Amino acid sequence: MRGFHWLKRRRLDEEDFQEEIRSHLAIATDERVADGADRAAARDASIKDFGNITLTTEAARSVWRPRWLDALRDGLNDARFAIRVLGKSPAFSLTVIAVLALGIGLNTAVFTLLKSLALSPLAGVEGSARLGVVLTETRAGRRGGLSYPDYQYIRDHDRAFRGLTGSALAFVNVGLGSRAERAVGELVTGNYFQQLGIRAQIGRTLLPSDDVAPGQHPVVVLGDALWRRRFAADPGIVGRTVHLNAAPMTVVGVADAAFHGTMVSFDTGVYVPLMMAPQVGLSVPAAGPDILDDKDATFLMVLGRLRPGQTLASAGAQMSLLSNQLKRDAAVRAVERDVRVLPIWQSPYGAQTYMLPAVVVMGAMGVLLLVIVCANVAGLVLVRGVSRRGELAMRLALGASSGRVLRLLLVENLVLAVPGAAVGLALVWFGLPLLFSTTSAVAAPGQIFFNLALDRYVIAFSVLAACASALAFGFVPAWRGARIDLLAVINDGLSRRTGARGRARAALVVAQVAVSTLLLVGSGLVARSLDAARAADAGFDATNVVSVALDLKPGGYDEPRGRALFHGLLESILAEPGVESATLAASQPMTLVDFGAQRVWIEGYEARPEEDLIFLSNTVGPAYFTTLKIRLITGREFGTRDDRDTEQVAMVNETMARRFWGDPARAIGQRLRHASGGWRTVVGVAADLKYSRINEEPRPYVYVPFLQSYRPVMMVHARGPAGISALLERVQARVRELDAGLPIQYARSLRDQISSSLTILEIAARMLFVLGVAGMALAALGIYGLIAFSVSQSTHEIGVRMALGAQKLSIIRGFVVRGLRLGVCGSVLGLAAAVAVTRMLGSVLYGVSATDPGSFARALGVVLGAVLIATIIPVWRGARTNPLAALRQP
Amino acid sequence: MTLHSRAASRADLLHGTLDMLILRTLQWGPQHGYAIGQAIRAQSSEVLQVEAGSLYPALQRLSRKGWVVSRWGVTAANQRAKFYRITPEGKRQLLREETRWDELVAAIARVMKPAAAPKE
Repeated sequence: MRGFHWLKRRRLDEEDFQEEIRSHLAIATDERVADGADRAAARDASIKDFGNITLTTEAARSVWRPRWLDALRDGLNDARFAIRVLGKSPAFSLTVIAVLALGIGLNTAVFTLLKSLALSPLAGVEGSARLGVVLTETRAGRRGGLSYPDYQYIRDHDRAFRGLTGSALAFVNVGLGSRAERAVGELVTGNYFQQLGIRAQIGRTLLPSDDVAPGQHPVVVLGDALWRRRFAADPGIVGRTVHLNAAPMTVVGVADAAFHGTMVSFDTGVYVPLMMAPQVGLSVPAAGPDILDDKDATFLMVLGRLRPGQTLASAGAQMSLLSNQLKRDAAVRAVERDVRVLPIWQSPYGAQTYMLPAVVVMGAMGVLLLVIVCANVAGLVLVRGVSRRGELAMRLALGASSGRVLRLLLVENLVLAVPGAAVGLALVWFGLPLLFSTTSAVAAPGQIFFNLALDRYVIAFSVLAACASALAFGFVPAWRGARIDLLAVINDGLSRRTGARGRARAALVVAQVAVSTLLLVGSGLVARSLDAARAADAGFDATNVVSVALDLKPGGYDEPRGRALFHGLLESILAEPGVESATLAASQPMTLVDFGAQRVWIEGYEARPEEDLIFLSNTVGPAYFTTLKIRLITGREFGTRDDRDTEQVAMVNETMARRFWGDPARAIGQRLRHASGGWRTVVGVAADLKYSRINEEPRPYVYVPFLQSYRPVMMVHARGPAGISALLERVQARVRELDAGLPIQYARSLRDQISSSLTILEIAARMLFVLGVAGMALAALGIYGLIAFSVSQSTHEIGVRMALGAQKLSIIRGFVVRGLRLGVCGSVLGLAAAVAVTRMLGSVLYGVSATDPGSFARALGVVLGAVLIATIIPVWRGARTNPLAALRQP
Repeated sequence: MTLHSRAASRADLLHGTLDMLILRTLQWGPQHGYAIGQAIRAQSSEVLQVEAGSLYPALQRLSRKGWVVSRWGVTAANQRAKFYRITPEGKRQLLREETRWDELVAAIARVMKPAAAPKE
């Protein structure tokens, strides 16, 4: 064995191999010479016999290469070649890349919104889309959370979830006095962080041992954003005392930076043990002071991960069994509720329910836009394919397999599509945060968070969209390219037109026009909805009204002092010049979320089985209806004399009066009970308002007077001709005068509040408008390209006809008729599709029918106009050609 | 994809057969490339013409798998040449290939001449 090489090489020894070939040739030549051949001839014959030395060497080399490397090298070679080829026609390449970037980018942006709501709604929580939400539903279908006792029962008896954790949203004042800052808080059960798998970046998270006895655990975990904003990311924060609504709490840790709480759209700043709720005095909407014992205080959002093998459906079935157990003590419950399990994207907490419909519509429109983009690019590629027929035919003639040519063309398409994906990601990275920060700065600074991160979902989506569109726009032309009839090309020269190709392009144009018509109809409908919503009569007049929100809890006010403060404040504000009226209210209209839903009892009325008698309500001061200019239908509004010492009174809205007493006039003098209060006499009926959203249905509403049901958290409304900024300034100055340390939660005009509640509709309308215009521009570009191409192919024909005396006008007419025919075909198809599809838009439309003829007519006009312009320009340019020059062309 | 894998397995079959022929030729002792080609040609009564373009890549493949080792030497006619020698692992591989080949031939024979095939 000595001297034989045990080859431990990784690659071919090139020199050795060439030497071996030389030796082969020498031996073969010697043999031929020995057989009597001439040496030179023998050498030539040996070389000829050996065959292609380069190919042999390449084959020997490839033996040493792993197969995947070969494939990769081929792909890279194709890509390099594709880039070189595309670089030679920069106009084509840049157009295609820009068009694709637009399509893929917009789709990636919409997808990211969808992800933030449904696919990965909770940042920092692994697999958050698979979390199940346990909630209750009344017989009337109103969804709510669980009460704390019910949560405990279900947590201890459920077998479908690995564990159940509860949390409740609450707004808190962090800090004392005027330095206090309003932050989003979550009241959480002790197992919250463990169940979600969230670690602390500093200190520790809350533990089950922090949630044992009411009032015994004054600890708090901070959210990353609040820690950075308010405490300048102080690493020594653990152990420090922070006042939450004036209650001192010890910071034990800061939650992981990626985690923003479990309420989608809110950026939670503080996590407080649920046991501390009464002590901290957290105001959970719709919950009384004894929220830990009250089985009707359904304020807790409960969620958990399913055990392996369990589904939401099986968990739901187990919950209904537990639910029956809970119903046994129906006697202590005001309302009967069933327990249900839903995926987190259907959770009634957070922004999912009111944002998803709009985002789904955006997604559908985005996909349509991508279809136009692909049709458009397919058209461009087809046109280019014609000019490349010579090249492709040459490749095929030289022996390239049609599979190889197909691959080259597909790689070329990928090279065009990949920058699109990159632009899409850039759009998500820069554009979306900008869009959201401008809206959130208006709505609630520092309190809004959506999981818009560029994570694997978004990257995978954009790459997938790029590849899918590369395949879609590339497949038809590439397939045709690989099927080129060699003889036809060689015999006819390179500019032969085929009827089938023309038909394919025409079909693409028709498809583009149809889809862009559909997009325009959709965006037109949404734009009209937005106009209608802006102009809509919400039932009150928001001009010249300001809202200033005050929370007396951190100042340590008890009820008598609180009453005195609010009374004094209203007096001093009314004394200001330029103030017409001022009042107090617990909540303001158009807040997007339903606040203050309460159980109501009507004297002499038994609830029907499908009724739950839970209605929205508001606690308002004297002159509330005057200040907001809400129409009084009958009776009177609350006055300063509706006090603790006089008869308990209430007001209802028109819908409520008609529902229970048939007529507003008959409602006066009737009696009702509201929440835990006693019987109240109805003294007035007010007109309906839009309470939460502009597109809500009319619903019953109850008002109780502030003077008869004190609350420490109230909002001051002031109206006057002084102007918004003067009013805001004066109200705040009066507050400081009475108590310089009192935190002002926020101060803004009521109109701002309304416009921020239209934000969702506005974002949807804006994005749909962009999609519609982009789609139309693309369709126009496609038509322009098609007509320009067919004109350029027909210059010869035009030359002949003009030389024979044809009028320029009649030639133009011929082409324009052709373009318009395609336009009409496409837009009719688009309108038909729109009639069928716009009903999907129902959830985001307001004040306009889904088949609004105006929107349809406008879309039709715009599309046909664009078609006409896109046709006339190239035809006009074509008709100006010199007939002689055209004739001389081959 | 199916097309590709079908092509690949066809190539494997051809490679495998050529490898077997080369290993078989080397069983009689170390030999250089030209002589291997000539030997296969002579043994097959001029039917199998192994082209240099297949032979030398095949020798590289066998070297890489450790079935043959090589050394530069001098031929009887005093020409420098690279000699290949089968390794023990190469011999085992040859045995496997032969078994496979026999089975294949027998199977084909059963299909082509059912009457002549022995009954089981």
